[in-house]
Amino acid sequence: MTGPLRRAALVLGALACAGAASAAWWPFGEPSDGKIRPAAALAAAGRWSDVVESLAPQFMQTLRGTDLRSAYVLRGEALERLGRPDEALGDYQVGIGLYPKSVLLLTRGANLLHREGLDEHAREFFARILALEPKNADAHLGLAEIERRLGFLDRSAAHYQAALQTLKTRADLWRDYAEVLLAQNQQWPADLALRKALELEPRDADAHVLLAFARRAQGDYNEALLQLDVAAGLGAGVGTLRAKALWLLEAGKLPEARAAAERVLRSSPADGAALWVRARARLAAGDLSGAEADLSAAEAAEDGGFSARAAKALRAALVELKARREAALYQK
Amino acid sequence: MTRLAALALALLAAPALAAPDLSADALLQDHLWREVRTAPADGRPKVGLVLSAGSLRGVAHVGVIKVLEQAGFPIDVVAGTSMGAVVGSFYAGGIGVDQMWKIASSLHIDSGNDLSSRHLISLVLFDRLLSSENTEKTIREKLHGLRFDQAPKPFACVAMDIYTGEAIIFRDGEIAPAVRASMNLPGIFQPLEYRHRFLVDGGVVDYIPIDAAHLLGAEWVLASVTENDFTTVRPKSVLDALEQVIDIRGSYLSREQRKQADFLIEPPVGDIGMFEQNRIPEALDKGVIAAAKRVAAAEESLIEASLPRLVEAWTAAGTRR
Repeated sequence: MTGPLRRAALVLGALACAGAASAAWWPFGEPSDGKIRPAAALAAAGRWSDVVESLAPQFMQTLRGTDLRSAYVLRGEALERLGRPDEALGDYQVGIGLYPKSVLLLTRGANLLHREGLDEHAREFFARILALEPKNADAHLGLAEIERRLGFLDRSAAHYQAALQTLKTRADLWRDYAEVLLAQNQQWPADLALRKALELEPRDADAHVLLAFARRAQGDYNEALLQLDVAAGLGAGVGTLRAKALWLLEAGKLPEARAAAERVLRSSPADGAALWVRARARLAAGDLSGAEADLSAAEAAEDGGFSARAAKALRAALVELKARREAALYQK
Repeated sequence: MTRLAALALALLAAPALAAPDLSADALLQDHLWREVRTAPADGRPKVGLVLSAGSLRGVAHVGVIKVLEQAGFPIDVVAGTSMGAVVGSFYAGGIGVDQMWKIASSLHIDSGNDLSSRHLISLVLFDRLLSSENTEKTIREKLHGLRFDQAPKPFACVAMDIYTGEAIIFRDGEIAPAVRASMNLPGIFQPLEYRHRFLVDGGVVDYIPIDAAHLLGAEWVLASVTENDFTTVRPKSVLDALEQVIDIRGSYLSREQRKQADFLIEPPVGDIGMFEQNRIPEALDKGVIAAAKRVAAAEESLIEASLPRLVEAWTAAGTRR
């Protein structure tokens, strides 16, 4: 064999060995000995501890091809189900190292990272999936959520659009997409997306709530309040009544706002938003001490959340205003 | 196996987003934020956006502005120093955020700065300071020769007079030469002779120009700060060292200025060097991420500052009724 030919043969041999070692390339498909079937049956039966036990490292070493790749998927899933995400991630990472083009392993790893809040790393994994499969809906969906969480609303909307090309019938995705559009102040496209969501799932209370937000953003309070009522009728809970009280206040309908707030207060006497609405209504009626009493009650909330802090700030502003007015009267 | 894979994917797919937040806190904050945004100009404090110096790191300001715009933040006046002056002038001059993002993404170190290799060699070998004339040309071109009094939002920027050490706040005349002066890095560019003064980068004396925003009437100031983390960066060249010295000085100065801001957003871009233009996309992204994390708190801060005026309007409405 001549020099160049020998070198070529050596290179080919090395490539074949590397391919075999990484189990990523087989000319006639990956081999399977069917050894994974018992573990798959255990997983199908939801016996996750048994799955982990059956896929012990010693056993994993005897697997190859499809079986080995599936073993990493099954073990990772079982560990996730058992509340051991760190170990699951370790398995996915080893699997991805061996099968870098496995969309399944990459998806599982990316979703786990995303759920654990490690979005920057999850983003890398999802991007790798899209490099392999540009139309992969799960990757687009994962990226849509991550970009949104990080603050990139335009990128998030673009990924939702791509995911919806495939997952057209997912009402919840149309709703999430609409929420991103609303956050970008794109009320009209949001409205259209919500209509699509409601076509698919007419009894989706959350979609009605979002539609109410979209209408309010357009200044259409009548329709917004109507949508809140529809959502309440579908079991959206006290939150819709709370929103109604606040939005009636915005619309300048103080008696109705106060009535809605009092309905909330009947079931939750310490509700910070409802107390705020009643305080505002009392303030507008000239009942300063009544307003202060409501604000004091809101301020006393144990969680010390936004409502409590806002009530404290408003009460301080009221005290200051009263003092200023008294001083002005005294000067006269 | 395909069925198994499909089942696994379905079971462990990324979680869908949560339902709309209708908690008392979320709804009340949303309501009050709307009250602040829609209040008449005298119904809330005048809001100033201050953009710090920071060379290339300052492109992160664009990311910050993007998030503030999305949140509907009412920005009344803008002030900036050095790169903050460039970004601020574009924003106050009416250039949209998407356009600013594009401009920042295509920024080259030598594209408006005369910082080509040939000129840098001339600087090092012949001790000849470079001209920042191209900066002025670029800004003039982007802003179409806009003057301060023509800007959609009132704007100010800061430079330093190299003979007196004074901070010079520009609020009138054409914007382009003032911005050029504000980012006229000493030791690299010739001092700019403008209005009988010899001007260099304002970052040396006014790194976070809160005073300039106050001069424009700002009563509540949000500052975006892109400081150098000089404890982790080791200068690799003469220019790096020079910038580091300016940044260290700016950092000491900014300690007091930080306290004057009502709210701070600090994109973590401290390790991005003056000439690392390949990291511009990263800086832009970091601006968005940092601002997105803090925007709700910024809203709360402005709501709180606005309450004394809002309450006057609410009680006055009650009296009228």
